[in-house]
Amino acid sequence: MIKKTILEQRKERALFIILFLISIILSNIGILGIENSNMMPDYFIALITAYIINKGSDLNIYKLVIIGLIVDLFVGQLLGQYGLVFICIYLLYFIIKKILVIKSTQQLFSLGFFLITSSFLVLWATSLSHGLFISFNLIFIQSILTFIAYLFFNIFIKKFTSN
Amino acid sequence: MVTKASKGNLKLFNRDSFPLVSFVTLFILCLVMMGVDYRQQILKNIKSKFSIVTSPITYLINLPADIFINLKDTFISKNLLKEKIETLEQANHILSIAVQENKLLTSENKLLRNTLKIKKDFNIVGVTAEIILPNIKNGHSIITINKGSKNNIKIGSAVINNAGLVGQIINTSESYSEVMPITSEDYAVPAIMNNSKENIILYGNGNGELEIPLFPSSSSILINDNFVTSGAGGLYPKGINIGRVVEIKSTTSPKFNSIMITPLSQPTTFTQITVIDIKK
Repeated sequence: MIKKTILEQRKERALFIILFLISIILSNIGILGIENSNMMPDYFIALITAYIINKGSDLNIYKLVIIGLIVDLFVGQLLGQYGLVFICIYLLYFIIKKILVIKSTQQLFSLGFFLITSSFLVLWATSLSHGLFISFNLIFIQSILTFIAYLFFNIFIKKFTSN
Repeated sequence: MVTKASKGNLKLFNRDSFPLVSFVTLFILCLVMMGVDYRQQILKNIKSKFSIVTSPITYLINLPADIFINLKDTFISKNLLKEKIETLEQANHILSIAVQENKLLTSENKLLRNTLKIKKDFNIVGVTAEIILPNIKNGHSIITINKGSKNNIKIGSAVINNAGLVGQIINTSESYSEVMPITSEDYAVPAIMNNSKENIILYGNGNGELEIPLFPSSSSILINDNFVTSGAGGLYPKGINIGRVVEIKSTTSPKFNSIMITPLSQPTTFTQITVIDIKK
Protein backbone atom coordinates (compact mmCIF):
# COMPACT_ATOMS: atom_id res chain seq x y z
CA MET A 1 0.00 0.00 0.00
CA ILE A 2 1.46 3.31 -1.06
CA LYS A 3 1.33 5.90 1.70
CA LYS A 4 0.93 9.52 0.72
CA THR A 5 3.28 12.14 1.93
CA ILE A 6 1.92 15.01 4.02
CA LEU A 7 2.62 17.34 1.12
CA GLU A 8 0.56 15.22 -1.27
CA GLN A 9 -2.29 15.04 1.21
CA ARG A 10 -2.25 18.81 1.64
CA LYS A 11 -2.19 19.26 -2.12
CA GLU A 12 -5.19 16.99 -2.56
CA ARG A 13 -7.10 18.68 0.24
CA ALA A 14 -6.39 22.09 -1.29
CA LEU A 15 -7.54 20.83 -4.68
CA PHE A 16 -10.78 19.57 -3.19
CA ILE A 17 -11.44 22.90 -1.47
CA ILE A 18 -10.72 24.81 -4.68
CA LEU A 19 -13.01 22.54 -6.71
CA PHE A 20 -15.68 22.85 -4.02
CA LEU A 21 -15.50 26.65 -4.18
CA ILE A 22 -15.65 26.50 -7.98
CA SER A 23 -18.77 24.32 -7.63
CA ILE A 24 -20.40 26.93 -5.38
CA ILE A 25 -19.65 29.65 -7.91
CA LEU A 26 -20.84 27.58 -10.89
CA SER A 27 -24.04 26.63 -9.05
CA ASN A 28 -24.94 30.30 -8.96
CA ILE A 29 -24.34 30.89 -12.66
CA GLY A 30 -26.62 29.62 -15.40
CA ILE A 31 -25.26 28.00 -18.53
CA LEU A 32 -24.77 30.61 -21.23
CA GLY A 33 -27.45 30.41 -23.91
CA ILE A 34 -29.80 28.13 -21.96
CA GLU A 35 -32.95 29.98 -20.91
CA ASN A 36 -34.19 27.32 -18.51
CA SER A 37 -32.35 27.91 -15.26
CA ASN A 38 -33.17 24.41 -14.04
CA MET A 39 -31.19 22.86 -16.85
CA MET A 40 -27.83 22.89 -15.21
CA PRO A 41 -25.58 20.21 -13.77
CA ASP A 42 -25.34 19.44 -10.10
CA TYR A 43 -21.69 20.34 -9.69
CA PHE A 44 -21.51 18.96 -6.15
CA ILE A 45 -22.66 15.48 -7.16
CA ALA A 46 -20.20 15.62 -10.08
CA LEU A 47 -17.35 16.64 -7.76
CA ILE A 48 -18.07 14.05 -5.07
CA THR A 49 -18.48 11.28 -7.65
CA ALA A 50 -15.20 12.22 -9.32
CA TYR A 51 -13.47 12.41 -5.95
CA ILE A 52 -14.83 9.10 -4.67
CA ILE A 53 -13.82 7.31 -7.88
CA ASN A 54 -10.36 8.85 -8.05
CA LYS A 55 -9.48 9.40 -4.42
CA GLY A 56 -11.96 7.15 -2.63
CA SER A 57 -9.58 6.39 0.20
CA ASP A 58 -9.40 10.07 1.19
CA LEU A 59 -13.09 10.35 1.92
CA ASN A 60 -15.05 8.57 4.59
CA ILE A 61 -18.78 8.69 5.16
CA TYR A 62 -18.48 11.12 8.08
CA LYS A 63 -16.65 13.61 5.89
CA LEU A 64 -19.25 13.07 3.16
CA VAL A 65 -22.14 13.84 5.51
CA ILE A 66 -20.41 17.00 6.71
CA ILE A 67 -19.73 18.08 3.11
CA GLY A 68 -23.39 17.29 2.35
CA LEU A 69 -24.55 19.55 5.18
CA ILE A 70 -22.36 22.39 3.88
CA VAL A 71 -23.80 21.88 0.37
CA ASP A 72 -27.31 21.99 1.88
CA LEU A 73 -26.49 25.35 3.42
CA PHE A 74 -25.54 26.79 0.06
CA VAL A 75 -27.89 25.19 -2.42
CA GLY A 76 -29.91 22.52 -0.66
CA GLN A 77 -33.62 22.33 -0.10
CA LEU A 78 -33.69 19.88 2.79
CA LEU A 79 -31.17 19.50 5.58
CA GLY A 80 -29.34 16.20 5.22
CA GLN A 81 -30.47 15.48 1.65
CA TYR A 82 -27.07 15.92 0.06
CA GLY A 83 -25.43 14.01 2.91
CA LEU A 84 -27.73 11.09 2.15
CA VAL A 85 -27.02 11.33 -1.58
CA PHE A 86 -23.25 11.39 -1.00
CA ILE A 87 -23.20 8.39 1.33
CA CYS A 88 -25.37 6.49 -1.15
CA ILE A 89 -22.78 7.22 -3.85
CA TYR A 90 -20.10 5.96 -1.46
CA LEU A 91 -22.04 2.77 -0.70
CA LEU A 92 -22.75 2.05 -4.39
CA TYR A 93 -19.12 2.67 -5.28
CA PHE A 94 -18.00 0.31 -2.53
CA ILE A 95 -20.38 -2.46 -3.64
CA ILE A 96 -19.38 -2.14 -7.29
CA LYS A 97 -15.71 -2.10 -6.39
CA LYS A 98 -16.29 -5.24 -4.34
CA ILE A 99 -17.95 -7.25 -7.10
CA LEU A 100 -16.30 -5.88 -10.25
CA VAL A 101 -12.76 -5.25 -11.35
CA ILE A 102 -12.76 -1.74 -12.76
CA LYS A 103 -9.57 -0.79 -14.51
CA SER A 104 -10.17 0.65 -17.99
CA THR A 105 -11.18 4.24 -18.68
CA GLN A 106 -14.45 3.13 -20.30
CA GLN A 107 -15.35 1.16 -17.19
CA LEU A 108 -14.56 4.16 -15.00
CA PHE A 109 -16.74 6.43 -17.15
CA SER A 110 -19.60 3.93 -17.05
CA LEU A 111 -19.21 3.69 -13.28
CA GLY A 112 -19.27 7.50 -13.05
CA PHE A 113 -22.45 7.67 -15.12
CA PHE A 114 -24.09 4.93 -13.07
CA LEU A 115 -23.23 6.65 -9.77
CA ILE A 116 -24.48 10.02 -11.01
CA THR A 117 -27.76 8.57 -12.30
CA SER A 118 -28.27 6.67 -9.05
CA SER A 119 -27.57 9.76 -6.95
CA PHE A 120 -30.13 11.73 -8.96
CA LEU A 121 -32.66 8.97 -8.37
CA VAL A 122 -32.01 9.28 -4.62
CA LEU A 123 -32.30 13.08 -4.88
CA TRP A 124 -35.54 12.76 -6.85
CA ALA A 125 -37.07 10.20 -4.50
CA THR A 126 -36.17 12.13 -1.34
CA SER A 127 -37.47 15.38 -2.85
CA LEU A 128 -40.78 13.80 -3.86
CA SER A 129 -41.23 12.16 -0.48
CA HIS A 130 -40.86 15.58 1.15
CA GLY A 131 -43.25 17.44 -1.11
CA LEU A 132 -40.63 18.94 -3.42
CA PHE A 133 -41.58 18.29 -7.03
CA ILE A 134 -38.81 17.67 -9.56
CA SER A 135 -39.76 16.54 -13.04
CA PHE A 136 -38.29 13.17 -14.02
CA ASN A 137 -37.31 14.46 -17.49
CA LEU A 138 -35.36 17.26 -15.85
CA ILE A 139 -33.55 14.75 -13.64
CA PHE A 140 -32.53 12.82 -16.76
CA ILE A 141 -31.17 15.93 -18.50
CA GLN A 142 -29.45 17.04 -15.29
CA SER A 143 -27.76 13.63 -14.96
CA ILE A 144 -26.29 13.98 -18.45
CA LEU A 145 -25.10 17.53 -17.75
CA THR A 146 -23.69 16.40 -14.40
CA PHE A 147 -21.84 13.59 -16.14
CA ILE A 148 -20.21 16.18 -18.43
CA ALA A 149 -19.24 18.23 -15.36
CA TYR A 150 -17.92 15.01 -13.79
CA LEU A 151 -15.65 14.46 -16.81
CA PHE A 152 -14.18 17.93 -16.35
CA PHE A 153 -13.64 17.40 -12.61
CA ASN A 154 -12.08 14.05 -13.42
CA ILE A 155 -9.55 15.69 -15.71
CA PHE A 156 -8.72 18.29 -13.04
CA ILE A 157 -8.31 15.75 -10.27
CA LYS A 158 -6.14 13.47 -12.40
CA LYS A 159 -4.02 16.32 -13.71
CA PHE A 160 -3.33 17.97 -10.38
CA THR A 161 -2.84 14.91 -8.24
CA SER A 162 -0.78 12.69 -10.54
CA ASN A 163 2.96 12.82 -10.05
CA MET B 1 11.51 -13.86 -17.29
CA VAL B 2 8.52 -12.51 -15.49
CA THR B 3 7.50 -8.91 -16.10
CA LYS B 4 4.85 -6.82 -14.43
CA ALA B 5 1.75 -6.38 -16.58
CA SER B 6 0.92 -3.02 -15.13
CA LYS B 7 2.06 -0.72 -12.39
CA GLY B 8 -1.47 -0.55 -10.93
CA ASN B 9 -2.60 -2.73 -8.11
CA LEU B 10 -4.15 -5.63 -10.03
CA LYS B 11 -6.32 -7.11 -7.34
CA LEU B 12 -9.31 -9.23 -8.25
CA PHE B 13 -11.19 -8.94 -4.97
CA ASN B 14 -11.44 -5.95 -2.74
CA ARG B 15 -11.11 -6.88 0.89
CA ASP B 16 -11.72 -3.45 2.41
CA SER B 17 -14.35 -3.55 5.09
CA PHE B 18 -17.35 -1.27 4.78
CA PRO B 19 -18.31 0.81 7.83
CA LEU B 20 -21.83 -0.60 7.82
CA VAL B 21 -22.80 0.53 11.32
CA SER B 22 -21.64 4.10 10.61
CA PHE B 23 -23.42 4.02 7.26
CA VAL B 24 -26.73 2.89 8.76
CA THR B 25 -26.42 5.41 11.60
CA LEU B 26 -25.68 8.29 9.23
CA PHE B 27 -28.36 7.14 6.78
CA ILE B 28 -30.97 7.21 9.53
CA LEU B 29 -29.57 10.51 10.85
CA CYS B 30 -29.90 12.10 7.39
CA LEU B 31 -33.47 10.81 7.04
CA VAL B 32 -34.35 12.15 10.49
CA MET B 33 -32.77 15.53 9.66
CA MET B 34 -34.76 15.70 6.42
CA GLY B 35 -37.98 14.81 8.20
CA VAL B 36 -37.42 17.32 10.97
CA ASP B 37 -36.36 20.01 8.50
CA TYR B 38 -39.45 19.36 6.37
CA ARG B 39 -41.68 19.95 9.40
CA GLN B 40 -39.73 22.64 11.25
CA GLN B 41 -38.15 24.49 8.28
CA ILE B 42 -34.80 24.50 10.08
CA LEU B 43 -32.72 24.92 6.90
CA LYS B 44 -34.68 28.03 5.93
CA ASN B 45 -33.95 29.60 9.32
CA ILE B 46 -30.28 28.64 9.15
CA LYS B 47 -30.08 29.96 5.58
CA SER B 48 -31.61 33.30 6.58
CA LYS B 49 -28.93 33.65 9.31
CA PHE B 50 -26.27 32.31 6.99
CA SER B 51 -27.24 34.76 4.22
CA ILE B 52 -24.91 37.33 5.81
CA VAL B 53 -22.13 35.09 4.47
CA THR B 54 -23.77 33.85 1.27
CA SER B 55 -25.20 37.16 0.02
CA PRO B 56 -21.79 38.83 -0.55
CA ILE B 57 -20.56 35.65 -2.28
CA THR B 58 -23.60 35.60 -4.56
CA TYR B 59 -23.18 39.33 -5.12
CA LEU B 60 -19.55 38.85 -6.15
CA ILE B 61 -20.47 35.96 -8.43
CA ASN B 62 -23.08 38.07 -10.18
CA LEU B 63 -20.89 41.18 -10.28
CA PRO B 64 -19.25 40.57 -13.68
CA ALA B 65 -22.63 39.95 -15.33
CA ASP B 66 -24.11 43.02 -13.60
CA ILE B 67 -21.18 45.19 -14.69
CA PHE B 68 -21.56 43.90 -18.26
CA ILE B 69 -25.30 44.71 -18.28
CA ASN B 70 -24.67 48.14 -16.75
CA LEU B 71 -21.97 48.91 -19.31
CA LYS B 72 -24.24 47.73 -22.11
CA ASP B 73 -26.99 50.02 -20.81
CA THR B 74 -24.57 52.94 -20.56
CA PHE B 75 -23.53 52.63 -24.18
CA ILE B 76 -27.04 52.46 -25.63
CA SER B 77 -27.20 54.91 -28.52
CA LYS B 78 -28.81 58.31 -28.17
CA ASN B 79 -31.47 57.49 -30.77
CA LEU B 80 -32.57 54.47 -28.83
CA LEU B 81 -32.96 56.58 -25.71
CA LYS B 82 -34.94 59.21 -27.65
CA GLU B 83 -37.24 56.52 -28.98
CA LYS B 84 -37.66 55.14 -25.50
CA ILE B 85 -38.50 58.58 -24.10
CA GLU B 86 -41.11 59.10 -26.83
CA THR B 87 -42.68 55.72 -26.14
CA LEU B 88 -42.69 56.41 -22.41
CA GLU B 89 -44.25 59.84 -22.91
CA GLN B 90 -47.01 58.26 -24.97
CA ALA B 91 -47.50 55.56 -22.34
CA ASN B 92 -47.54 58.22 -19.64
CA HIS B 93 -50.18 60.18 -21.52
CA ILE B 94 -52.38 57.09 -21.90
CA LEU B 95 -51.85 56.20 -18.23
CA SER B 96 -52.74 59.70 -17.00
CA ILE B 97 -56.05 59.42 -18.88
CA ALA B 98 -56.54 55.96 -17.36
CA VAL B 99 -55.83 57.40 -13.89
CA GLN B 100 -58.59 59.96 -14.39
CA GLU B 101 -60.96 57.19 -15.45
CA ASN B 102 -59.86 55.12 -12.47
CA LYS B 103 -60.52 57.99 -10.07
CA LEU B 104 -64.03 58.22 -11.41
CA LEU B 105 -64.46 54.45 -11.16
CA THR B 106 -63.12 54.42 -7.60
CA SER B 107 -65.56 57.09 -6.47
CA GLU B 108 -68.40 55.25 -8.25
CA ASN B 109 -67.26 52.00 -6.65
CA LYS B 110 -67.26 53.58 -3.20
CA LEU B 111 -70.72 54.98 -3.78
CA LEU B 112 -72.01 51.59 -4.96
CA ARG B 113 -70.33 49.80 -2.05
CA ASN B 114 -71.98 52.21 0.35
CA THR B 115 -75.31 51.74 -1.39
CA LEU B 116 -74.99 47.94 -1.35
CA LYS B 117 -73.51 48.03 2.16
CA ILE B 118 -70.41 46.02 1.21
CA LYS B 119 -68.01 46.44 4.09
CA LYS B 120 -65.10 44.29 2.84
CA ASP B 121 -62.31 46.29 1.36
CA PHE B 122 -58.65 45.70 0.68
CA ASN B 123 -56.01 47.78 2.31
CA ILE B 124 -52.79 46.94 0.55
CA VAL B 125 -49.64 48.02 2.34
CA GLY B 126 -46.50 47.66 0.30
CA VAL B 127 -42.75 48.02 0.67
CA THR B 128 -40.92 49.11 -2.46
CA ALA B 129 -37.65 47.30 -3.06
CA GLU B 130 -35.05 46.87 -5.75
CA ILE B 131 -33.97 43.65 -7.38
CA ILE B 132 -30.28 43.18 -6.89
CA LEU B 133 -29.67 39.69 -8.10
CA PRO B 134 -31.87 37.84 -10.54
CA ASN B 135 -29.90 34.62 -10.14
CA ILE B 136 -29.87 30.88 -9.94
CA LYS B 137 -29.17 28.66 -6.97
CA ASN B 138 -28.30 25.17 -8.05
CA GLY B 139 -30.84 25.23 -10.83
CA HIS B 140 -33.53 27.13 -8.98
CA SER B 141 -34.38 30.66 -10.04
CA ILE B 142 -34.24 33.07 -7.15
CA ILE B 143 -34.68 36.85 -7.18
CA THR B 144 -32.82 38.65 -4.41
CA ILE B 145 -34.11 42.04 -3.28
CA ASN B 146 -32.49 44.73 -1.15
CA LYS B 147 -35.06 44.79 1.65
CA GLY B 148 -35.27 42.34 4.52
CA SER B 149 -36.85 41.62 7.85
CA LYS B 150 -35.83 45.03 9.22
CA ASN B 151 -38.15 46.54 6.57
CA ASN B 152 -40.96 44.35 7.89
CA ILE B 153 -40.82 41.91 4.98
CA LYS B 154 -42.27 38.56 5.89
CA ILE B 155 -41.96 35.10 4.40
CA GLY B 156 -44.95 34.33 2.22
CA SER B 157 -45.68 37.92 1.16
CA ALA B 158 -46.62 38.44 -2.47
CA VAL B 159 -44.34 40.45 -4.72
CA ILE B 160 -45.67 42.57 -7.59
CA ASN B 161 -44.44 45.21 -10.01
CA ASN B 162 -46.09 47.52 -12.49
CA ALA B 163 -46.48 44.68 -15.01
CA GLY B 164 -48.04 42.20 -12.61
CA LEU B 165 -47.31 39.41 -10.16
CA VAL B 166 -43.60 38.65 -9.70
CA GLY B 167 -43.51 35.96 -7.03
CA GLN B 168 -43.50 35.25 -3.34
CA ILE B 169 -41.00 35.85 -0.54
CA ILE B 170 -39.44 32.55 0.51
CA ASN B 171 -36.52 33.65 2.62
CA THR B 172 -35.62 36.77 4.55
CA SER B 173 -32.51 38.01 6.29
CA GLU B 174 -32.02 41.36 7.94
CA SER B 175 -31.21 43.30 4.77
CA TYR B 176 -32.04 40.91 1.95
CA SER B 177 -34.94 38.74 0.90
CA GLU B 178 -35.31 35.99 -1.64
CA VAL B 179 -38.26 35.81 -3.99
CA MET B 180 -39.49 32.67 -5.68
CA PRO B 181 -40.55 33.75 -9.19
CA ILE B 182 -44.03 32.81 -10.41
CA THR B 183 -42.49 30.60 -13.08
CA SER B 184 -40.70 28.47 -10.48
CA GLU B 185 -41.69 24.80 -10.39
CA ASP B 186 -42.76 25.02 -6.76
CA TYR B 187 -45.09 27.94 -7.39
CA ALA B 188 -48.87 27.90 -7.58
CA VAL B 189 -51.31 30.79 -7.59
CA PRO B 190 -55.12 30.90 -7.61
CA ALA B 191 -56.33 32.82 -10.63
CA ILE B 192 -59.30 33.77 -12.76
CA MET B 193 -59.55 34.72 -16.38
CA ASN B 194 -60.37 38.36 -17.08
CA ASN B 195 -63.65 37.43 -18.74
CA SER B 196 -64.71 34.54 -16.53
CA LYS B 197 -65.49 33.69 -12.92
CA GLU B 198 -63.98 30.22 -12.91
CA ASN B 199 -61.27 29.71 -10.27
CA ILE B 200 -58.14 28.04 -11.62
CA ILE B 201 -54.75 27.29 -10.12
CA LEU B 202 -51.73 28.23 -12.25
CA TYR B 203 -48.48 26.35 -11.72
CA GLY B 204 -44.99 27.51 -12.62
CA ASN B 205 -43.25 25.02 -14.90
CA GLY B 206 -39.67 26.09 -14.19
CA ASN B 207 -39.26 26.94 -17.84
CA GLY B 208 -40.14 30.63 -17.79
CA GLU B 209 -43.87 29.98 -18.12
CA LEU B 210 -46.93 29.08 -16.08
CA GLU B 211 -49.12 26.14 -16.83
CA ILE B 212 -52.60 24.77 -16.28
CA PRO B 213 -52.00 21.04 -16.74
CA LEU B 214 -55.68 20.08 -16.91
CA PHE B 215 -58.03 22.76 -18.17
CA PRO B 216 -61.56 21.56 -19.05
CA SER B 217 -62.05 21.47 -22.84
CA SER B 218 -65.63 22.60 -22.32
CA SER B 219 -64.48 25.98 -20.90
CA SER B 220 -63.81 28.69 -23.41
CA ILE B 221 -60.25 29.99 -23.62
CA LEU B 222 -58.38 31.81 -26.37
CA ILE B 223 -54.79 32.77 -27.10
CA ASN B 224 -53.94 36.14 -25.48
CA ASP B 225 -56.61 35.75 -22.78
CA ASN B 226 -55.36 37.34 -19.56
CA PHE B 227 -55.20 35.73 -16.14
CA VAL B 228 -55.39 37.75 -12.94
CA THR B 229 -55.18 36.72 -9.27
CA SER B 230 -58.52 35.55 -7.89
CA GLY B 231 -57.86 36.64 -4.33
CA ALA B 232 -58.76 33.16 -3.06
CA GLY B 233 -56.79 32.24 0.03
CA GLY B 234 -56.26 35.87 0.98
CA LEU B 235 -52.55 35.95 0.19
CA TYR B 236 -52.83 37.90 -3.03
CA PRO B 237 -55.20 40.80 -3.61
CA LYS B 238 -57.71 40.20 -6.37
CA GLY B 239 -57.03 41.47 -9.86
CA ILE B 240 -53.23 41.49 -10.13
CA ASN B 241 -52.07 40.66 -13.64
CA ILE B 242 -50.37 37.28 -13.93
CA GLY B 243 -49.93 36.47 -17.60
CA ARG B 244 -51.53 35.77 -20.95
CA VAL B 245 -52.28 32.53 -22.75
CA VAL B 246 -49.69 31.68 -25.39
CA GLU B 247 -50.44 28.07 -26.16
CA ILE B 248 -53.34 25.63 -25.85
CA LYS B 249 -52.20 22.02 -26.11
CA SER B 250 -54.32 18.91 -26.20
CA THR B 251 -53.66 16.22 -23.58
CA THR B 252 -54.10 12.45 -23.63
CA SER B 253 -57.58 12.96 -22.21
CA PRO B 254 -60.04 14.59 -24.65
CA LYS B 255 -61.78 16.24 -21.68
CA PHE B 256 -58.80 18.42 -20.82
CA ASN B 257 -56.36 20.79 -22.49
CA SER B 258 -53.02 21.97 -21.21
CA ILE B 259 -52.65 25.75 -21.18
CA MET B 260 -49.34 27.60 -21.31
CA ILE B 261 -49.24 31.13 -19.90
CA THR B 262 -46.41 33.58 -20.29
CA PRO B 263 -45.99 35.93 -17.30
CA LEU B 264 -46.40 39.65 -17.89
CA SER B 265 -43.54 40.48 -15.55
CA GLN B 266 -40.07 39.15 -16.33
CA PRO B 267 -37.33 39.42 -13.67
CA THR B 268 -34.73 40.48 -16.22
CA THR B 269 -36.74 43.41 -17.55
CA PHE B 270 -37.48 45.35 -14.36
CA THR B 271 -35.69 46.40 -11.19
CA GLN B 272 -38.36 47.90 -8.92
CA ILE B 273 -40.85 45.68 -7.14
CA THR B 274 -43.37 46.01 -4.32
CA VAL B 275 -43.71 43.51 -1.53
CA ILE B 276 -47.32 43.55 -0.44
CA ASP B 277 -48.89 42.79 2.87
CA ILE B 278 -52.64 42.45 2.76
CA LYS B 279 -54.57 43.75 5.71
CA LYS B 280 -58.26 43.09 5.65
